[in-house]
Amino acid sequence: MTWDTVIGLEIHVQLSTKSKLFSGGSTEFGAESNTHVDLIDMGLPGVLPVANKEAFYKAIRFGLATGANINQTSTFDRKNYFYPDLPKGYQITQMTKPIVENGSIKIVTDDSEKIVNITRAHLEEDAGKSIHDLFDGETGVDLNRAGTPLLEIVSEPEISDAKEAVAYFKAIRQLVTFLDICDGNMAQGSMRCDVNVSIKKSGDTELGTRAELKNINSFKFIEKAINFEIDRQIRVIESGESVVQETRLYDSEKNETRSMRSKEEANDYRYFPCPDLLPVVISDKELQEIKESLPELPEEKEMRYIREVGLEESEAKIISSSKAMANMFEEASTKTDDAKLIAKWLVGDVSALLNKDHIEIDESNLSSENFGKLIERISDNTISGKIAKSVLEEIWENGSDVDQIIETKGLVQIQDESLLKEIARKVIDANPDQVAAYKNGKDKLFGFFVGQVMKETQGKANPKSVNEILKELLQ
Amino acid sequence: MDKKTVTTISYLSRLKIDGEKEEKIIKDLDNIIEFVDQLDDVDTSNIEPLTNPLEKTAKTRTDEVTAKNLKNELLEIAPSSNEDYFLVPRVVE
Repeated sequence: MTWDTVIGLEIHVQLSTKSKLFSGGSTEFGAESNTHVDLIDMGLPGVLPVANKEAFYKAIRFGLATGANINQTSTFDRKNYFYPDLPKGYQITQMTKPIVENGSIKIVTDDSEKIVNITRAHLEEDAGKSIHDLFDGETGVDLNRAGTPLLEIVSEPEISDAKEAVAYFKAIRQLVTFLDICDGNMAQGSMRCDVNVSIKKSGDTELGTRAELKNINSFKFIEKAINFEIDRQIRVIESGESVVQETRLYDSEKNETRSMRSKEEANDYRYFPCPDLLPVVISDKELQEIKESLPELPEEKEMRYIREVGLEESEAKIISSSKAMANMFEEASTKTDDAKLIAKWLVGDVSALLNKDHIEIDESNLSSENFGKLIERISDNTISGKIAKSVLEEIWENGSDVDQIIETKGLVQIQDESLLKEIARKVIDANPDQVAAYKNGKDKLFGFFVGQVMKETQGKANPKSVNEILKELLQ
Repeated sequence: MDKKTVTTISYLSRLKIDGEKEEKIIKDLDNIIEFVDQLDDVDTSNIEPLTNPLEKTAKTRTDEVTAKNLKNELLEIAPSSNEDYFLVPRVVE
């Protein structure tokens, strides 16, 4: 029996506003516990929530970038459940009239491209954090996060395997960071995802019963959790039982999903319109302004890099794939005329260092200004490409200034033709056998002479000049 | 309205119902629902659901942090807390 997998994702994106969705509490991450809690976040009697317009603007940017409908009038509902990190006993969300509906996004996997439709994206408030393991017999509650604006992005169940699910998550992350509506920081929980997984016999049109996987916060775990769950559902069905519709928790340590029965007992959320909040209306003018302020998106950047800057397609793709990388490229390009050389270094040596350290470029010691200057020093022949490599490595270690490294280490390229000629002569005189072999047609030995001159000059000779001088002398 | 529904609703709303009052509450709820059911006689298929009786739209805020640090005051009014957290009976997933 072969099985088809059907997956839908709900991604919670923490919007990068300064203040909360309904209060003037700060959304800063990592603050001392319970210091960013407003009376509204606490749900104290007599308080009235007031919506943060910026959260709407950010949600609309997402909607416009995914070709979605924007509901210029949207409303809030209450989702009722009891949990200690939700002080009001309900979460304010957008059930009936979400701000964004019917968008789509392109995903790319190893062998193909695919459009995934987005059912809706709605605004809602985040809950606080429960700390279970710190106190004996009690749970501690930190409400700093309570009320932080989230955009919940719900996909259609159109994703067919774990790889596509990861590609979809990556595409959403890339988009929200380019749009500057979320910092995309997974370790800090700025993006979290619930995955709905079901299986059906190949070819069946009717969907199987789904399980919802919670608590997944990395690309790796999305893939592992889905693959575990697919296998589990196949085992359940093939043993003659049926899949139960339930919420399951993914345990990354044991690599398994397990039932969260506590959630099941109370899965009737009794949504109703929130009487505290009137419909929020976005004017045509506001919508127009947001449209005009949308930044250039990855695909547009890629095309521009190819057409206007003259980059190779592969280079343009890598550079436009992350906002940090694109920023580095564009900012460094203002420091030198040789944008193609910047691209070559970004895709080559810089990417290699990033991969080695498993970091993003904005986490490295390399500033765009210093990087631009490094490339400029190669273009203006101050240093050779080989020396530039060691300079880059030093910057990578401690962020020192390019010119300072060149000066203190005496790395300036030797341009003096007569000095280079002298060194080249010395090399030729010291290696009569090789000279003879070369003259007898062993062309490959040319590289040997270049290498010897470079060695004599500790890599500081201008390779182009060395080539010319050696050719002349060895004729 | 039956006993099972009332038990579910009382669980969901965390309201405890005394055994002896249960019969009366079931009867009261039945009456309320019957009363509200009169609305079913009206054809509302072309009418947008009312989200708020005030026919107004929301005033909104600009994105500014205006809250003060009320940590000590808020922890103090909680039924149980220590110097950093609100404390509740242990919740384990």
